[in-house]
Amino acid sequence: MKTLVFDAKNDEEALLHAARELRVNPSYITLSHEEKKGMLGLKKTLTYTATVNVNLLDFGYDFLKQTLSQLDIEATIEAELNSETGAYHFTIDSDENPLLIGKSGKTLHGFQTYMRNLMNLYSEDGVNVILDIGDYKANRERQLEILATKTAKEVARSKIPATLRDLNAYERRIVHTKLAEWRDVTTVSEGERPNRYLVIKPKE
Amino acid sequence: MAVNYETLIEHLITPLVIHPEDVGVKVLSEDDSLITVQVLVNEEDLGRVIGKNGRIANAIRTIAHASAARNHKRITIQIDAF
Repeated sequence: MKTLVFDAKNDEEALLHAARELRVNPSYITLSHEEKKGMLGLKKTLTYTATVNVNLLDFGYDFLKQTLSQLDIEATIEAELNSETGAYHFTIDSDENPLLIGKSGKTLHGFQTYMRNLMNLYSEDGVNVILDIGDYKANRERQLEILATKTAKEVARSKIPATLRDLNAYERRIVHTKLAEWRDVTTVSEGERPNRYLVIKPKE
Repeated sequence: MAVNYETLIEHLITPLVIHPEDVGVKVLSEDDSLITVQVLVNEEDLGRVIGKNGRIANAIRTIAHASAARNHKRITIQIDAF
């Protein structure tokens, strides 16, 4: 849990200082203070302890729930903290899955990026947040592995490099990993963001 | 029920800022196809809302696009400080 100890004159000043230093919305900060008398007993300073008071798992869950209800989408959300990897997993299921996933997962990744940023603001150490909608990611992974294998076979046979476009970083990684062990092809990512693409090349 | 874009975007912006009282979200114009939303935040918060390489701003835009697409509309979000 993020905490900060510092001196301030009054509550108002303390809250703003804490928000600035802890980088979160002040309404999530709990303050407590101790009085310290100055040398002559005239000046007094207050020593504040500010704590970011959130349970990350509940925080993420509540946030998603509210967001989806604002979107007017009824959904079930599962939230889980993987104790081995320390990653927060959120799974959304609703009637509007395709909308929430977007074209080639664009909206899903927007959501994930947002959640990652949000939850990292509220946690002391970096946390990983993984968001899935329906079984999109698992399905996509299987699809990509099939595509990778098929393309690699073709490249190995024809000795002509093949390009896979419109894959995001995570999807390229899946293909790289899948083909890492292959004897007759190599894989590289080329081009500059946002137009990076993956090339499967025949090995000499 | 139609989605209220102002509340939606405000809901996405507010937890990111340290001056929540300064967050202002306003629909500038709305017609059959295009909605323009203006987001104003405290200068100190601008960086947080936009993010590195505009990553957070783009994520917020993507979410807003999706909700607008449901009503067959497009949405643009202008983020600025005052």
